[in-house]
Amino acid sequence: MSEAKNRTVFRRILVPVSGTEADDETMRMACWIAKRDKSKLYAMYVITIKRSLPLEAEIESETRRAEELLDRMERIAEAEDYTVETDLLQAREVAPTIIDEAVERKVDLIIMGVKYQRRFGQFSLGNIVPYILKNATCQVMLYSQYTG
Amino acid sequence: MDNGWQQKPGNRIYRPRRIRKYRLRRVLGVAAVFSAGYGNVGSSIYYALGIVAVTASGATPVALGIAGILFVFTALTYAEGTAMYPEAGGSASFALHGFNRAIGFVAGWALMLSYIATISISAFTIPPYFGFFWEPLKSSPVISTAVAIGIILFLMLMNLIGVRETSVINIGAAILDIATQVTLIVIGFILLFNPPVLIGRIVDNWPSPDKLVLGIALASIAYTGIETASQMAEETRIPERRVPRALILMIFAVLAIFAGISLVSFMAMTPQELGSEWARDPVAGIAANIPVKILSDILKPLIGILAGTILLIATNAGLIGISRLAFSLGQRKLAPKMFSKIHRRFQTPYIAILLFSAIGIIILVPGFFTPSVFENVGALYAFGSLLAFMFSHASIISLRIRKPEQPRPFRLPLNINIGKVSLPITAILGFVFTTVIWIIINVTQPFSRLVGFVWMILGILIYYIFSRRVSPPS
Repeated sequence: MSEAKNRTVFRRILVPVSGTEADDETMRMACWIAKRDKSKLYAMYVITIKRSLPLEAEIESETRRAEELLDRMERIAEAEDYTVETDLLQAREVAPTIIDEAVERKVDLIIMGVKYQRRFGQFSLGNIVPYILKNATCQVMLYSQYTG
Repeated sequence: MDNGWQQKPGNRIYRPRRIRKYRLRRVLGVAAVFSAGYGNVGSSIYYALGIVAVTASGATPVALGIAGILFVFTALTYAEGTAMYPEAGGSASFALHGFNRAIGFVAGWALMLSYIATISISAFTIPPYFGFFWEPLKSSPVISTAVAIGIILFLMLMNLIGVRETSVINIGAAILDIATQVTLIVIGFILLFNPPVLIGRIVDNWPSPDKLVLGIALASIAYTGIETASQMAEETRIPERRVPRALILMIFAVLAIFAGISLVSFMAMTPQELGSEWARDPVAGIAANIPVKILSDILKPLIGILAGTILLIATNAGLIGISRLAFSLGQRKLAPKMFSKIHRRFQTPYIAILLFSAIGIIILVPGFFTPSVFENVGALYAFGSLLAFMFSHASIISLRIRKPEQPRPFRLPLNINIGKVSLPITAILGFVFTTVIWIIINVTQPFSRLVGFVWMILGILIYYIFSRRVSPPS
């Protein structure tokens, strides 16, 4: 009983999505955790804008893709009988934006899906995940999708 | 939870249409805006000193000082304008608000010319600075021009692909820039300080009045680049307070450092040497003339690498600036849509990058045949920048008349009241001086007059044809 009392409660959970196959399952997991703690659930997608463009530049193909992805996240949450607030952002870099968003929304937990990827023949987490792990001011949970 | 997280400079966030009310997260502070501005203005001294010396000879420090007063007026004008309208676009944005769409376009088009000239002149000045490592980079016009063109092609390719570049580079460049310049000034004053020699070189080589006036006009290019700080406004937190502060800080830093560099250069070499052998790499000339051999041997390659790197970043900043500006004009329906066309794969404004890089290269082609291209491109730079500054001053004056009630978080001091209208004296003086200098450039510099007017007429034609086809956005 005391063990259950001492467990961490996550009031706000952030799920940054990136369009990989791990996103769907990550969102489901986030819904389960959110249900348990009655947390507020956020999903976000960051469109990276190159420096040769103004930050407000609207890249239709990217925006459409991001909208579709966030719509899918909303449907997954709905299927899990939960609600998610989705947000689309444009920034120069993804990782600092996720951290900034987490700080601003006072998030307790970031849940991220990770795709198995190799770089120069070695397993790699890429640039974003290590940055989040290093700089996050809250708990971070990774979901690694095994693709065989 | 520890909320000590500090957002990285330059990483402002923009929320597109998904949520009904989107907010802008502005993150830059005074230091970041100052760094971006100084990175651009500060790089000018690496070529402007030589260009001014070619014409103003012994009066080079004086010409730079007088042009510095104009710089103060211009920076103050930008401070009021940017505080009123903290958006990217600089003079084009002020003209759009102060006058109308047509003048907004013309100001933007002039600014584009200034950016193209930045690309050309910065790239053209890089090879001589590396001349320490391979002499033909400095001595051979063919090799030097070919390398400059190669640099533009390389940066064009990088920007086409859209290689990731963090804003830290800009801040690092500004720190490197200031550190290099201050070190050189301190070393120069310690080892070379000799007032009789300095005064003698100024007095004995005093130019004729017409050359002095032209020297002052050309010296104005040393101070161009204020636009960059203004362009950062939309990414700045509390821009109405922080951008003016950054601009005022820049005024002090630029005036102090440029005065120091120009005086040290005169103590290190004669105006003749500065205007000939070291015209394209004047700061390298200072390092080469340091009397302590071991120090000179260390500084020569170091200055070459540092100046080359800073100029490379300035060239890239010009390319980024023009592609953003062209995209914005295209998006606002002020210019053909092709400017805002984005590459499907690389997601960069590829037509704008290709087109303006090509123009930057074409401007340098005469460099294969004639050494005067350096001065010509400098004058062309002055043509575009001064025109943009003229529009800025005029727009600020116009806004005081047309929109006197508009909140002005930073209001220019020293005003004259005419009826209910309060007009800023510095903007009026800035407008008058800029116009006079611009006319002098046009009268005395046939290359910049020809290319500049062809460019502006082409722009006006494009706008005229385009505005008949497209209805302005509501």
